[in-house]
Amino acid sequence: MANERTDLMQGTLELLILNTLARESMHGYGIVQRIHEAAEDLLKVEDGSLYPALYRMEERGLIKSEWGLSENNRRAKFYKLTRTGKRKLESERANWNRIAKAVTRILQAT
Amino acid sequence: MMTPIANLLLRSNRGKTPFEVDEEMQFHIDMLERKYSQQGMSIADAKAAALRRFGNLEVVKKQCVDISRRNSLLRRVLKTASVVIALSGLLIRILSSDLNIAHIGDTLIMIAVSGRLLLYVRGLNPWTFLPATRQTSLSVVANTPDDAART
Repeated sequence: MANERTDLMQGTLELLILNTLARESMHGYGIVQRIHEAAEDLLKVEDGSLYPALYRMEERGLIKSEWGLSENNRRAKFYKLTRTGKRKLESERANWNRIAKAVTRILQAT
Repeated sequence: MMTPIANLLLRSNRGKTPFEVDEEMQFHIDMLERKYSQQGMSIADAKAAALRRFGNLEVVKKQCVDISRRNSLLRRVLKTASVVIALSGLLIRILSSDLNIAHIGDTLIMIAVSGRLLLYVRGLNPWTFLPATRQTSLSVVANTPDDAART
C-alpha cells in the first residue's frame, strides 16, 4: 500500500481526542477505533502515540480518567472531558475551521 | 537534583503508576490481538500485528509513567506545602499577642485554604498555566482516497 506519511499540525491529535470524548467517556482503544472509523481510514493515528497525549491532556486538566469495566468485562481506564476540556474543544474547533477556511481560500486563489 | 522530600514523595507513588500504565497498555494490545484473531489471524500473527500497530511499547510506557509521576509529585508537594503553611499560620495566630503578627497568621491560613481549594477544583491544574511548549507525539499516516478504497 502506498502510504504518504504526513505530520499534521501540532494540536491536531488533541483536537481529535477532545472531539471523540465529547459524546461519551471512552478507553484509549475505543478512542483510536472511533478516530479511524470517523476518518474512514484516511487518517491513521499510531495507537501508542495516543497515550502520552492523553496523559498530558489529563495533566493539563482537559480530561479526567477513572477505572471501570470494558464491554468485555475487563478493567480499563476511561477518559472523559472536563469543563475546561469542553471549552478547549469549542475554541480549538473554531480555530481549526478558521485555518481550514483560510488555507482553502489561498489554495483556490492561486 | 531532587530534594530528599521530593524523592520520598515520589517513592511513595512509585509502585502504583507503572502497574496502572502497564495494565492500560496491555488492555489496548489485548483488544487489538482479539480484533486480529477475529479477522482470522493465528494467535502468533495477531500478537505480532498488535504490537506492530501499537508502536514502541516501552517508550510509550516510560513517557506515560514520567508524566503521571510529574503530575502526582507536583500535586503532593502543593498539598503538603498548603498544610505546612496553614499550620504555621495557626501557630502564629495562637502564640502571637501582637495584632500585626497575628494578621500574618491569618494571611498564611487564607493562602493555604485558597491553594487547597484551587487544587480541589477540577481543571485548575497548575500545569494549565504553563505555556504548552511540549510537542505531542502525533504521527499520522495519510492515505490517498484511492489507497483507502483499495484496503
